[in-house]
Amino acid sequence: MANSYLTTESKKLATWYFTFAAIIFGAQLLFGLVAATQYVIPGFLFEIVDFSVARMIHINALVVWMVFAMIGSVYWLLPDETGIETVGIGLGKLLFWVFAAAIVVVVLVYLLVQVGPADETSLWLIHEGREYIEAPRWADIGIVVVVLGFIYNLYATGMKGNRSGIVTVLMADMLAFAGIYLAGMGYTDNISIDQFWWWWVIHLWVEATWEVFVGSIAAYGLITMIGAHRKVVEMWLWIEVAMLFGSGILGMGHHYFWIGTPEYWWEIGALFSALEPLPLVAMFIHVLYDWGKMQGEESAKGQDVSVIANKPAFTWFVLNAIGNFLGAGVWGFFHTFPQVNLYTHGTQFTSAHGHLAFFGAYGTLLIGMFYLAVQGKNGIKVMNATKKSIWGTSMIFGGVLGMTAALTLSGYVDVLVSRAQMGATWSGYFEGQASMWFMQGMDWRLIMGVVTFLGFFVLVADLLSIGKATHHKR
Amino acid sequence: MVGEVLMTKDILVDEFLTIFVSSTLVLVFGGFYVGIYTAVKVKLLKNWAMPFSYLFWILTAYCLYLMGSYMHVNEFTAKALVVAAIGILLLPHAVYYMQDRVHEENEH
Repeated sequence: MANSYLTTESKKLATWYFTFAAIIFGAQLLFGLVAATQYVIPGFLFEIVDFSVARMIHINALVVWMVFAMIGSVYWLLPDETGIETVGIGLGKLLFWVFAAAIVVVVLVYLLVQVGPADETSLWLIHEGREYIEAPRWADIGIVVVVLGFIYNLYATGMKGNRSGIVTVLMADMLAFAGIYLAGMGYTDNISIDQFWWWWVIHLWVEATWEVFVGSIAAYGLITMIGAHRKVVEMWLWIEVAMLFGSGILGMGHHYFWIGTPEYWWEIGALFSALEPLPLVAMFIHVLYDWGKMQGEESAKGQDVSVIANKPAFTWFVLNAIGNFLGAGVWGFFHTFPQVNLYTHGTQFTSAHGHLAFFGAYGTLLIGMFYLAVQGKNGIKVMNATKKSIWGTSMIFGGVLGMTAALTLSGYVDVLVSRAQMGATWSGYFEGQASMWFMQGMDWRLIMGVVTFLGFFVLVADLLSIGKATHHKR
Repeated sequence: MVGEVLMTKDILVDEFLTIFVSSTLVLVFGGFYVGIYTAVKVKLLKNWAMPFSYLFWILTAYCLYLMGSYMHVNEFTAKALVVAAIGILLLPHAVYYMQDRVHEENEH
């Protein structure tokens, strides 16, 4: 497809990032299916792609595709927000290829080498064994270099062009996002200390810097798609930054309940975790407010037309508000207090929460950005949904909701049987795993995983073809 | 040790379902509360719907109480839950007030 409607190199680079992100998204789903199948058929791909390998690729691919799509989103919005071409775009393009090549090598090593000796060579060349961020140290250093280049592009452009509120928030947020990664690069043989710093990366990414990123992109999307007033949107963004950082940073305490950290984290975790749903509820208000206000203004003019300029993207943005609220809010809240977390941590409840929170809070919004890029790339003024958009959206979001429900069922068995009745013993664990309800939950998780995977192909087909449809306003 | 410090007594097996359902309903009812409040304010719903929003806040607060009771929370966590209930009550008022002021300033 020609890039004829893209007037800036920054937006062209963004489409590269989105394309690579979509490929890795597919890999994430594929290896998730392998791991889900192994719960149902334990011998599946035994000693070829064991559960530990499939799960490792599944959750690392999750982080990688989202990071790629996040960087792509920033490159996409920079020219619109600053009014100029991104500074150092040549460097940005070079770093894209370096980053993509490094990821391919890392995944091949995960797949073909899998494990190494219990010494430093494994840490440097194979993987570090830290969930979500298992890249070997050479890749860690490479990622830092690539992200520093990206930060340079962002800062140089923000300082040279018009620095809107959205760009200012992104400049601060992306610096924190990159800096926090350093906390997960050290090595210690004390597992409590290792976990302490590892949570700095994982929690402060997903419950602080990534959520602020979502707020910034949602702000950009609301201005772009429904013409929301910038001052209103940007004022909201600052409130959101305050609320998210205010509750999210010390909300990290809910990960410190049982890893060997001091007991005062019970109180800190309980208090700030109780406050963490507030910004998520507020985000929900914000989307409703802007949509209602803008549609109301249009209706007041006597015009019965939708204010939405990109219906598939807006659908994903609305699903983001819902998914964030459900996945991070509801599924997070019901096991965030130490009194109940004593029984739920490390069960399939965590997995249910992880699936809906990651996809609902981040995946949805980033897919929405894919559609915004398709609209811009094809020079479409008002982009309407197609049957494939509706099917793809329904299958993916419905599939993830279904997986979450199934995992919640299995998690409930974990809590009751393995923890409450049998006291977190080995026999309790195996008793829970063998329970009929647990296994049926795993069966349904696999079925809904297949639905999600098929939905992914419909989504890709739609992204590749929707720009050519004739029912858009050009 | 954990039982003495963290909670007043262990959670019974039969109480888990109530805890999970009530904590889910905290956010569901909380969502209805802020959703109806905002929808009335931006005139997507008529004014008569407003009392229902406050009814949902009362349900939210009740579910927080139920959840805390069944978890046998210690004194500190009980206070945190009260702060959360008040926070949910005030949140849409504060956010709407600030957004509307900026909206008005932007238009006039």
